[in-house]
Amino acid sequence: MSVIELDSLEVRLGGRPILNGLTGQLRGNAIGLLGPNGAGKSTLINTLLGFHQPTRGAARVFGLDCHRDRARIRQGIGYMPENDSFIGNMTGVRFVRYMAELAGLPPAVALERAHEALFYVGLGEVRYRNVSTYSLGMKQLIKLAQALAHGPRLLILDEPTNGLDPIARQRMIQTIQDISKAGSIRLLISSHLLRDIDETCDEVLILKQGRIAALRNIEEERRSHRNFIELETAGAVEAFAESLRRLGCECASFPGGRLKIVMPDSIEPRDLYVLAAEHGVQIRRIHRRRDSLEDIFLRAMENEPARGELVRL
Amino acid sequence: MSVYKHEYRAYEGRLTPAWSRIAVLVRYGMAEAWSSRITIGLLTLSMLPIVVYLVLIFLANNPIARAVIMRGSSAILSINATFFLRVLISQCWLALVLTAWIAPRLVSYDLADNALPILLSHPVSRVGYVVGKFIALVSYLSLATWIPCLLLYAYQGYASAAPWMGANLRIAIGVLIGCGLWITLLSILGLALSSWVKWRMMATGIIFAAVFVPAGIGGIIGAILRTKWGLLLNLPVMMTQIWQRLLGVSAFNRIGAGLPNVAMAGALLLLGLVCVFMLNARIRAREVVRG
Repeated sequence: MSVIELDSLEVRLGGRPILNGLTGQLRGNAIGLLGPNGAGKSTLINTLLGFHQPTRGAARVFGLDCHRDRARIRQGIGYMPENDSFIGNMTGVRFVRYMAELAGLPPAVALERAHEALFYVGLGEVRYRNVSTYSLGMKQLIKLAQALAHGPRLLILDEPTNGLDPIARQRMIQTIQDISKAGSIRLLISSHLLRDIDETCDEVLILKQGRIAALRNIEEERRSHRNFIELETAGAVEAFAESLRRLGCECASFPGGRLKIVMPDSIEPRDLYVLAAEHGVQIRRIHRRRDSLEDIFLRAMENEPARGELVRL
Repeated sequence: MSVYKHEYRAYEGRLTPAWSRIAVLVRYGMAEAWSSRITIGLLTLSMLPIVVYLVLIFLANNPIARAVIMRGSSAILSINATFFLRVLISQCWLALVLTAWIAPRLVSYDLADNALPILLSHPVSRVGYVVGKFIALVSYLSLATWIPCLLLYAYQGYASAAPWMGANLRIAIGVLIGCGLWITLLSILGLALSSWVKWRMMATGIIFAAVFVPAGIGGIIGAILRTKWGLLLNLPVMMTQIWQRLLGVSAFNRIGAGLPNVAMAGALLLLGLVCVFMLNARIRAREVVRG
């Protein structure tokens, strides 16, 4: 069963089409939502949460219509919004408990799970402090805790690493990976950061100007692409490159002894070392690149690349 | 998801019924208001007149007290509709003070930290959210208005030698409707204005201003145009007239006596609708993260 089903979904806000005929089925365990500013990511999330009524078509979450069955959908969704969103004068545990009770948990269970969720995201020691005193990273984590506390089936994370320093970001990514691995919860992660999606998601939906630019299974994409290797060498590079071509590799030389190679499946990196030794070439650095999400994203965007898109790596 | 394991665990237990989510909002709203010492102080203050009125009812019904203090004259202190109108008026204006303090606490914290997108992403609608806050506020205002008024009424019925309650049923109904109308209006007005003002203290001031500034404007309109219709902007005068008519005490205050019931009902309805429109517009605008 697909997690999210989009059926010619069209959403207009203020008479302007924001989502324009989206069609597709998202089945991944962790689904990435990518796109430049104004592509419609937040509108899609808000539509899934039932805040916006589709002008045409429909969106379904676990088979439930996003507008008609929005109460039932919200019951099973944990939502972590992009911006600051909390009640500052409440303690962390009280805030998470409040949200869990709103999601339908009985008060005693909500309190128990609030404590657990806060420990789970790493805020156990500060759970009795007012949320307004938390750092930016802690505020991100408490939003995650409240989204998790009621045990949702789908977790929607809007820019989960927004504003985090590298350590906090890595911790957030690790937590998301753990949740994803647990398997009982599906994830929809919206982000500008390709790296975040690359590290956490197995499927990606790329939006551009309110349309689907690409819908890909990242893992399958990676498997289907050939090995791509970058080398930094010293010595008789041209002869080495020629030998590589004879082995069946596609090879391009660059100044400074740099080579870019696409290897057929039959060739292993070890063969490169053997060949280099035969030609007296030193391999000083070898970087095996996967066909990254960046490539998928750039291919999806290539029809209209110059729009000042705010995509960071 | 146990504390010692730190692992995620899905929830498979029972869920509360959908209607009870509003009760959650009410409970947390009331707790938020109650966490302020000023709220407790104001509620205590609102009980002080009730104690005084209670003593007066005791004295009015006690033969010894009547003989000693009032020298047997019932004209000095008679427990009738006029007495209850005074109780009603004093308690209802204290309710305004309570509203000005509590209403901003119920709404502004949610708006200040942009909590609405998270709150409303749960199975609670915009209407449910407003109703929850409304019930929390009405509950506090009830503690200061119709509940003590009706307790005084019940005590008078108990203390009176003659069968008093049945003969004065209009007082109880008038108090109930009069207080109900006032606290409903105050709650909607308080929540609507609080939702538009970021700072709580400013919201408190604006709630007072919303009651008294139009009254001044209405007075100016009445004086310049020599018309009684300016009083339709004067909430204190209108409400006093409504309370008088509900309790059947026409001679208490003559100002606004010429205003027809329909006009006053229309003015109050219009005020209520404007508040609901303001509240809806504000909550709708803040329920989603824009971007």
